[in-house]
Amino acid sequence: MNPVELAQTTLAAPQGDMSFFALFLQAHLVVKLVMLGLVVASIWCWAIIVDKWLLFARTKRQMNRFETVFWSGQSLEELYRTLSGRANHSMAALFIAAMREWKRSHEGARPAIASLRQRIDRVMDVTIAREAERLEARLLVLATVGSAAPFIGLFGTVWGIMTSFQAIAASKNTNLAVVAPGIAEALLATALGLLAAIPAVIAYNKLSADAGKLSARMEGFADEFSAILSRQIDERS
Amino acid sequence: MRVGLIASTAGHLAVLLWGVVSFPDAKPFDIGPVDTLPVDLVPVSELTRLRIGEKTAEVREVEATRPTEKPVEEPKAEEKPAETEAKRPNQAAPEPTPAPAPEPTPAPEPPTPEPPAPQPEPPAPEPPAPRAEPEPAPAPTPEPEKKVAETPPPPTVRPRSKPTPPPQPQRQPPRENFNPNEIAALLNKVEPAGGSSSNSTQPASLGSRLGQSGVTMSQSELDALRGQISRCWNPPAGAAGAGDLTVRLKVFLTPSGDVDQQPEIMNSSSNPSFGIAAESARRAVLRCAPYSLPSVKYDAWREVIINFDPRELLGG
Repeated sequence: MNPVELAQTTLAAPQGDMSFFALFLQAHLVVKLVMLGLVVASIWCWAIIVDKWLLFARTKRQMNRFETVFWSGQSLEELYRTLSGRANHSMAALFIAAMREWKRSHEGARPAIASLRQRIDRVMDVTIAREAERLEARLLVLATVGSAAPFIGLFGTVWGIMTSFQAIAASKNTNLAVVAPGIAEALLATALGLLAAIPAVIAYNKLSADAGKLSARMEGFADEFSAILSRQIDERS
Repeated sequence: MRVGLIASTAGHLAVLLWGVVSFPDAKPFDIGPVDTLPVDLVPVSELTRLRIGEKTAEVREVEATRPTEKPVEEPKAEEKPAETEAKRPNQAAPEPTPAPAPEPTPAPEPPTPEPPAPQPEPPAPEPPAPRAEPEPAPAPTPEPEKKVAETPPPPTVRPRSKPTPPPQPQRQPPRENFNPNEIAALLNKVEPAGGSSSNSTQPASLGSRLGQSGVTMSQSELDALRGQISRCWNPPAGAAGAGDLTVRLKVFLTPSGDVDQQPEIMNSSSNPSFGIAAESARRAVLRCAPYSLPSVKYDAWREVIINFDPRELLGG
């Protein structure tokens, strides 16, 4: 059935038509708003999911590549020179921040070595926090949608059933054919709520776990790099 | 973020399109063609409407023979087996005199063709083929006679049995010509009837004494009342001449089903045990006092006349 035929049947038999559009069009304004809100929330959720998925995959790939380069025995100065030109994220950003602090401490006439280790740690902590925030941004939207969408859908359903019961009272007819369309359109709201909530909940759990893993990996690298730098500091002083 | 938003919107549109295409409508449930049997739901009371008769009598197919209160002359009880088709034996009783007349005439005739048929057979065992032909020849001749003789009698019997309704003239005169001075005469008429249905050749059929007077009581309701009373009835067992001990009791009931006043004994008998039987019947009615009957039809059972016939219980 193509949309033209669908529209014709919708016009011909508005009562018995149970397609999505017909159910949506028959619904009360509040139920319509709820449905629209849930659809928008679902779209936004899926956008976040796709975006985070791509971001995490990219971050993981960058980390792997950076680690292979970092542990390949290449000179850190050289690595810093190649990386400092471009915008970096995650481990590279960590490395750049630490190296920049290191270099800045050694640049002047009187190198400030005394508390360099603490400064480098502090700088790397700040960078880790920034990177973790970047990774976990908008994940709370998923959590919110996952917990609130069923209730919003339920609200639409309750409202739709309320109006359909009012219709029963008005028509003084308890025939199932009178009740069924209203309840069907009301249940559509709950269906949309669940449709938005289920992927949001699953994705939130998965993505927050992934973000935690990436943050832990960055912290591990930060500790290792801090150890290397502090050894260097101790050897030079 | 833009990539995710675009992908998500495209995905939702795809899902919506898929939903529109593959779920256009709810499919109505397919119900295969079923051969329908026309079944009428008829309440029992519609089939068993009240007919004129006795409330305590058994259910009979016979149409409303009311037990005549004075003995009607019905000496010709021997014609009844022949008159199975007549529905009202009381009315058909005078008529059967013409009916037997045509019936004997066909009766002798069939024997006459039958004897000739066996007669040709015994003498002709050897040539069966040629003699088989003459046999049909005598056979058809008696058959038309039989048909002619049998068909006329039904029209002669039926028109005569239908038009005379004797119960109505019996019932109406006492109402219209009611004279207080003739109460004694009326009572004299009632008493010899003895209340038992033995006066009419057919036992009383179930019904109300007023017939269809707007209120209908269904057969099952009357059965219920009968069952309630007979459960409490302790008939005088062992009394001599139980046939005379039929007690006719008029019971007055309140709308709640209680007995309103003392039940009236409506007949009497010369049997010495009759007093005991009457008292037992009265006790039975009083003992089972709250009767559950449909209060809507109170008019039908405000006054109930019940026949206590020991023969029914004693297996007579």
